[in-house]
Amino acid sequence: MSAGNKAREGGMGNDYLWDGSGEPDPEILRLETLLRKYRHSGGTPKFPVVAQGRRWAFGLRVGWTPRLAAVAAALVVVAAVGVSVRGRRAIPAVLTGWNVTRVAGTPRVGTRAMGPSQESGQLAEGQTLETDEGSQAHLTALETGEIEVDSGTRLRVERTGTDFRRLVLERGTIHAWIWAAPGKFVVDTPSALAVDLGCAYTLHVDDSGAGLLRTSRGWVGFQSNGHESFIPAGAACATRPHIGPGTPYFENAPEALRAALARYDFADSTAEERASDLSIVLAESHKTDALTLWHLLARTDESQRARVFDRLGALVPPPGGVTREGILRLDRGMLERWWNELGFDDIAVWRHWEREWSGK
Amino acid sequence: MAAEAGDRLEWFGAGPGSRAVKDGSASEERDDAPLVESAKAGDRGAFGLLYERYARMVHGILVARVPLGDADDLMQDVFVMALRRLSSLRDPARFGGWLAAIARNRARDYHRHSVNAVEWTEELPASEPESGLMSNPTSAGAAGAAATILAAIRSLPDAYKETLILRLVEGMTGPEIAARTGLTPGSVRVNLHRGMQQLRERIGRTPARNEEQQERSSS
Repeated sequence: MSAGNKAREGGMGNDYLWDGSGEPDPEILRLETLLRKYRHSGGTPKFPVVAQGRRWAFGLRVGWTPRLAAVAAALVVVAAVGVSVRGRRAIPAVLTGWNVTRVAGTPRVGTRAMGPSQESGQLAEGQTLETDEGSQAHLTALETGEIEVDSGTRLRVERTGTDFRRLVLERGTIHAWIWAAPGKFVVDTPSALAVDLGCAYTLHVDDSGAGLLRTSRGWVGFQSNGHESFIPAGAACATRPHIGPGTPYFENAPEALRAALARYDFADSTAEERASDLSIVLAESHKTDALTLWHLLARTDESQRARVFDRLGALVPPPGGVTREGILRLDRGMLERWWNELGFDDIAVWRHWEREWSGK
Repeated sequence: MAAEAGDRLEWFGAGPGSRAVKDGSASEERDDAPLVESAKAGDRGAFGLLYERYARMVHGILVARVPLGDADDLMQDVFVMALRRLSSLRDPARFGGWLAAIARNRARDYHRHSVNAVEWTEELPASEPESGLMSNPTSAGAAGAAATILAAIRSLPDAYKETLILRLVEGMTGPEIAARTGLTPGSVRVNLHRGMQQLRERIGRTPARNEEQQERSSS
């Protein structure tokens, strides 16, 4: 009996059905040909992009050298995927959309309400997710991350795709856990733009448009009108409409420092009051508050900047080649070299991705 | 890494016109454990490789149970769920079976919450078997024939329809299905053959009738 006959018997001796060996069964070949169009054909999500050396689960810090290596690897992978996708097929929707799932209450996507009969759906570009006081929702995007949407939140999808995603948080609170490549996911608020640099964070915007960003893993860039703030894990940064991001601070910083910093950043104070608040910040600062002092270098006038330089220099001495004169004139290269002495991620990471997202 | 990629290409190399490939599951099965451990430690590259390795299995399990248009979206859910729960997987060597269970549960969950059953009929318009469905369909009728055959497979018991879809739609071999899903090779073999028998009955074509028709058409 030939293999083909055995195959038509549908018996257990049909090797072609089992493992593709032996004489092909024409009937099964036809079935394969007909059904092939239903086969999975999606591309592989870019898990490798942020994978190397990143301990997302517990937020272990990575050094700048592996970080730069990861950036280089990311560039290679992104380029390879881009070339591959261009040459083959459109990216399936599964890789570009946000899946929205109801967690509690009745979240709304546009004019449609989600409830027990509609627990999940897609949140597409241009659509808005809104939760009232009794509802919560959860967003996922395979190659980007997850977002918990608290009650009282209004969140709009401004742009979605495999290479870049942009949300607008108009009000409310989101908790983002992002594994996309640094700089590939940003959240706009009425007063600043939060740029993910490989992290988990909480972002809150109140009805006035004022915001607060708290980073729990990795770090986030906060940017508006030329003001930049870098917020590593354990730190927070407030932002205000028409002012932009304030000075970041560690949440375990002394209360007096935090209160004085808030006044310095946002209060309508006189020059004397501002100088007084700065004195409190400098006096209350410890080594971990070098984060705050470094940011203050660019947010003070030259006379006050010298005071900040002295205090920061006492806590973290400037590296070789970084001079007092250079810092007082805000030499960008010197500022960035000093930043790299503070023990946070290399600022080159930010500069690289800043170029990427700033044009989008 | 290049050798591994090459192996993978051969393993999944069921492109148009190609045949299912022979069993290479044992080595890849062994390779799962370090990948899973790396993924548990936060290595997205490792998770990406696991995605590549298991995408067809998850897709096939979902296609067997939910409308085609939703299978791709649910794949996203399944892998995100797996990523979130990876730390709870005690035996990395059982990743495939664990992931398959997540996919089946997600499909069940889909039906628990789904209020729209219309897509099934929209997607699969033909309800009656077409004459000559499994033999030489015209190109014009191929789409309808494919939909009808897929509907017939989906009407089979769970074990049969899942295995047949992994074999006929996703192009996986029997040994590969066993290695990926955690089923024994014997179970997969039985599911394939009994599933094919029932499929022939559902679409009105037995092997005997097939041969009779071939004889008639050639005379």
